[in-house]
Amino acid sequence: MSLHLLCKVLFSRKVVTTLLLVQLAMTLALLLNSILLAQQTHQQLNQPTGLDLEHTLLVQLKPTMPQLRTYPALADLLERQLAAVQTVPGVIAAAYSNQSAIRQGGNNGNIYDVEQEERTNIGSVPMYFVSKDFFKVLNVTVQQGELPQQSLSLDGPENPPVVLTRSLADKVFPGQSAIGRQVNRGPVAAVVADFYGQRSSEHVMYNSIQVAPPFSVDWGYSILLRTSAGQTQAVRQQLTGILRQVEPNIEIFHIRTLKEQHRQLYSNEYGLATLLAILSALMLLVTMVSSYSNTHFHVLKRQQEIGIKRALGASKHTILVELLSENWLCTAIGATLGIGCALALNKMLAQVISIPALNWWLPLTATLMLLCCVTIASWYPAMLATRVSPATATKTL
Amino acid sequence: MEQFFYYLKVSWFSIKRAPLPYALTIFILSIGLGVFFANATFYYQINSDPLPHKSDKLFFPMTLLVPYQCSDCKPPSVLSYSNVQKLSQTDIPSAKAAMYSADGYLQLNNDQPPLPVVIRITQRDFFRMFDVPLLHGNIWTDNAARFEVILSKATASKIFGKTDVVGQQLLLDDRHFTVIGVLDNWQMLPRLYDASYNNHLSPNEDIFMSLETGYDLNYLSKTSSSTFDQTDYRQLSTQGRAGALHQLQYWVQLDTEVQQQAYQQFMTNLVNDEKAAGRHPSTVNNQLVPMREIVAYFGDEPGDIKAFALVTLLFLLVCLFNASHLSLNRYLSNQYEFSLRRALGASRSQLQLQMLADVLLMTMLTIAGALLIGYAGITLMNQLLPGNRLFSNWDLTLLLALLGIVFACSYLVTIYPSIRASFGSLNQQLKE
Repeated sequence: MSLHLLCKVLFSRKVVTTLLLVQLAMTLALLLNSILLAQQTHQQLNQPTGLDLEHTLLVQLKPTMPQLRTYPALADLLERQLAAVQTVPGVIAAAYSNQSAIRQGGNNGNIYDVEQEERTNIGSVPMYFVSKDFFKVLNVTVQQGELPQQSLSLDGPENPPVVLTRSLADKVFPGQSAIGRQVNRGPVAAVVADFYGQRSSEHVMYNSIQVAPPFSVDWGYSILLRTSAGQTQAVRQQLTGILRQVEPNIEIFHIRTLKEQHRQLYSNEYGLATLLAILSALMLLVTMVSSYSNTHFHVLKRQQEIGIKRALGASKHTILVELLSENWLCTAIGATLGIGCALALNKMLAQVISIPALNWWLPLTATLMLLCCVTIASWYPAMLATRVSPATATKTL
Repeated sequence: MEQFFYYLKVSWFSIKRAPLPYALTIFILSIGLGVFFANATFYYQINSDPLPHKSDKLFFPMTLLVPYQCSDCKPPSVLSYSNVQKLSQTDIPSAKAAMYSADGYLQLNNDQPPLPVVIRITQRDFFRMFDVPLLHGNIWTDNAARFEVILSKATASKIFGKTDVVGQQLLLDDRHFTVIGVLDNWQMLPRLYDASYNNHLSPNEDIFMSLETGYDLNYLSKTSSSTFDQTDYRQLSTQGRAGALHQLQYWVQLDTEVQQQAYQQFMTNLVNDEKAAGRHPSTVNNQLVPMREIVAYFGDEPGDIKAFALVTLLFLLVCLFNASHLSLNRYLSNQYEFSLRRALGASRSQLQLQMLADVLLMTMLTIAGALLIGYAGITLMNQLLPGNRLFSNWDLTLLLALLGIVFACSYLVTIYPSIRASFGSLNQQLKE
């Protein structure tokens, strides 16, 4: 069985083969890009956040009465809520914050070294106004300096000390210690390990934290809790009741683990990757239908030819391999064309969404996948062909 | 007509003789068209023009009237109160309205649990500019502050259990307001008057309050606000009105080309005067963006739907190639029948009419399949991309377009195979 003969057989049916090749090429193009997108989403969902996602609970809430949203009633409410949730068995630490970590955007602003504003100015850095156990809840380690132990008002004569994450401190004060230096939000008291802040900011690990009551809770606020292993769900179930018991005039938007929050943040990417995966599966199904019908039809048309081959001594195995080889050759040519199509599609998709560029090993994997599907689909009609009796050859006489 | 039914009958017999290839063709076409149609629904609805008769007359003016120096910055996507005041000091627009949205809690009285609502805080021209229908009552007579609100029909029904509630009192964030109007059913989709950060994909607001009241009562924007100086955003009624606290969308209606040019000139003069007076240091950058271009201007066009549109189009092409392939196999299998008919005197055009009957039958079956798969696709997309949920409705235009596309696709995948089959010779067939 020579390659030349296989090609000759294949291209004797020009239109059918061309249709099949175009289809295979497009299928591979879509398959490759879907895998790329799925990979990217997987990487995004598994990127390091610096946080214990499974055991940290986030309650997003807002008082429904205007007077509860202003001080001093707000300060009292925050303290009462913290005191209540800390008594729940399984809670290791609890803190309030004007906003949670792992968000798309939120309360943010510029930060810079007051001595070198022009050079160090960074935009959209999240601003957290938190209670002192915030760092304990997020379980972030202190790398330099000391964490502020006192909550100071943002309206006081002096700005409360600022805690920066490592990446931000290195960016604002490259090659120097940030401790004791003055940024526009206040003096730097400590540098803590990086954690995921806001997706829309220049760098997701840039965060600045001040131990101070929130400036305002008109957009709601967060209560964050770290729970001991295995207790998260039990704690979660009690939170609504406990918080409502403390103060009924609140709206609880959601109670989530940070893992769920992270998944929510990338829900669009996850949705699109899932849709593309479903579409790729459908495309493979369509390709299988195509391969099946192509092989089936040509087996029917070539019964006499197969009969003659059998009469001349070709074994069942030879017939099977010959028919499968035709399909494999077609798939290989289609896949080669498909890589070009995949590159073009990748460029088009990159104009509307974020998608990584094609690498070298993915086309090989996708081609193998395609070959498997084509083999499965054409196996049954090829097996039928092996049952053609050598006596069929006599019909041609 | 008799001949037509005959053709249909022959088609039916042909299908019954070899149902598998036919079913596969229908299946493949239904999948391709169903998936395409599911995505086309979102794409069509999200890109539709909510005000086709006047969208080219509504503009969002933006200027770089800010207290910082920047030579290549875009103007902020929201305006400060003082900038809106400056941009309003002309009679060139036929209508003008500043606006933003905020969260609030609504109650009939203190015994009722508070209902979370979204408030559109705006000016009286808003209702005229965006063709907002009023069911009961009136809108504010001017733009002054007042404790009067307008409710959406759904909110009125939810709070009062009826819609004719003009003159009734309610509590919004513990303050007494009087209802002066109730809107009729209204859903502007996409909601282009609030287009930044994908807000145009959200539903309309529940309650409408005058802009001055919103500022007086310190309602902060729930979507986007930026402070470019030391303004304390908790002091909205005072510092918020004077400082560089940006949170307002501002729309003007400019009916003619002359008005548009005049307003552009007005903006240029205004910014130059302000710069000359030393009130802003930045390079002049004025934008007057038409409503239909506002989403693209903000760069918030949903990429997921676009990407999926591209891919589903590709998928449809694959399905068409596949269906053509299946169809070709089917017709070549039936070539004997075609050749026999030709030998018995049928002309090629008569064979083509037979093919048209085939196409019609295929169209009917494919439509049913495509609608089923399309519906399933929309349900799935609503689950996976819930942000676009409001845009998943079918309308008559869409359904008619689907019908046309299905017919065209069925015709496309059948035409070549049928022509090729009609050219086969009986001699050849008998030999085979």
